[in-house]
Amino acid sequence: MSAQRKPGSALVLVGHGSTVNPDSSLPTFTHAKEIRRRRIFSEVHCAFWKEEPSLREVLRMVESDDVYIVPNFISEGYFTARVIPRELELTGAVTRRNGRVIKYCQPVGNDPRMTDLLLYRAKEVAEGVPADKTSLMIVAHGTGLNENSAVAAKRQVSAIRGRKIYPEVVAAFMEEEPPISAWDTLTTQPFVVVVPFFISDGLHSYEDIPVLLGIESQAQGAASHQEVFRRNPYQLKGRKLYYAGAIGMEAMMADIILETVERFDFTR
Amino acid sequence: MIEQALQDYLNGGPLYVGEIIVRRVNPRGYVIRHWKDDQQPDATLARYADTTAALEIVRYDAKKKYRPLKGAPNLRRGWELRVSSVAETRQALDYFYPGAFATWLAYNRDEVLPVDLRETLQRQTGMYRVTQKLTLPQAEELAGRFCQSGSGCLRTILWKIDGHSPRRYLPESKFDSTVDQLGRNYGVIPFLCVEACNLFVAEARKIIKGPAE
Ligand code: SF4
Repeated sequence: MSAQRKPGSALVLVGHGSTVNPDSSLPTFTHAKEIRRRRIFSEVHCAFWKEEPSLREVLRMVESDDVYIVPNFISEGYFTARVIPRELELTGAVTRRNGRVIKYCQPVGNDPRMTDLLLYRAKEVAEGVPADKTSLMIVAHGTGLNENSAVAAKRQVSAIRGRKIYPEVVAAFMEEEPPISAWDTLTTQPFVVVVPFFISDGLHSYEDIPVLLGIESQAQGAASHQEVFRRNPYQLKGRKLYYAGAIGMEAMMADIILETVERFDFTR
Repeated sequence: MIEQALQDYLNGGPLYVGEIIVRRVNPRGYVIRHWKDDQQPDATLARYADTTAALEIVRYDAKKKYRPLKGAPNLRRGWELRVSSVAETRQALDYFYPGAFATWLAYNRDEVLPVDLRETLQRQTGMYRVTQKLTLPQAEELAGRFCQSGSGCLRTILWKIDGHSPRRYLPESKFDSTVDQLGRNYGVIPFLCVEACNLFVAEARKIIKGPAE
């Protein structure tokens, strides 16, 4: 994809970040680097809620008068509606301040191509497995407080159903109904592919979800994090289960970020 | 402008910020090291040419423990990052000490407005709203413990609490942008703390809620 160049503009990619999970900010840093390499913006920065640079300090690092803010989040919710606008002192989709125009884009998770990304992940993790004998399960956090991740996941499920690739597509959640632990009753096919709808791998995808699925008996030590993806497929309850990593590190995310910016311009 | 200012600075000599030193080397290039490795022979250091290496270096301390706070005085040693442009140097600098150089420039132009801790806490919502209950003595104790340069954070504090710098348990130098937090006596760029960070706010929450959470 060749995105339109914006030589007078800055891009600020906003991630959640973490004080305990060292991998949390990696997808955001990685995509920022890739977009920087493409020389579309005159500058590209990252900012985080839980790491540095913080949302409070990032605008001091920006020199352009035209700034796009793109939340690297899976869904709209508390962070995109409350935290980011508050910390950046935004007044709406467009904020004008001291001769600067700050454009607040939608979270990347709203991009229609997230569906492609989930499908790509599903296909990649279970290569050669017949799709017509596979149940696809999209798992998300699902708590009303922080994110509408459940709503977003359900939207993905119906989009994927519409493509008629898998005979069965379901959503399951960590903190909502239906629970991930019920995967074997939620699905009927001999093959089950589980794709987390998360930006970054972290404790949820390394530990919590594997335990809920029953592919780990208990939380593993930090050293074995990637192991959980290497042991596919899991033979469990008479099925073959494939567990994929978070989608946020996919190279396609850089394109999705750029398209999020284009869409902002297009709809204004 | 930031890049140009950085180039000018480096043309005039090495740049020290936090625990790193940046030097211009001939013919065109820049070398970044832990300042204590400045005189180490090249062969003793792991050498990198891609700024991404900085992301890895800052992420874990020498004991492979995650460093959530970039100002923590435990940057590991034994590496060298050599890049060829000022742009890359700036990028690397922002990986090590995010915004340090830009904030320092703005500070010198008198454009930095420190935010009082009360304002920071007042702004909090959700699970951090309770931090609004933090008392002055609690805030001073927290700053004294969490922000101190010895093992906490190398930033120079510009923010105040109820209009006063949290001096009770911290030395004068913690608030003085002309003093090096590592006590070296040569030109150092301060890593300024304009507003209490989110880790500080999270610690404040622990004080109010009790350590159980
Ligand atoms: S509040 Fe400032 S000085 Fe204190 S730990 Fe956070 S960044 Fe460092």
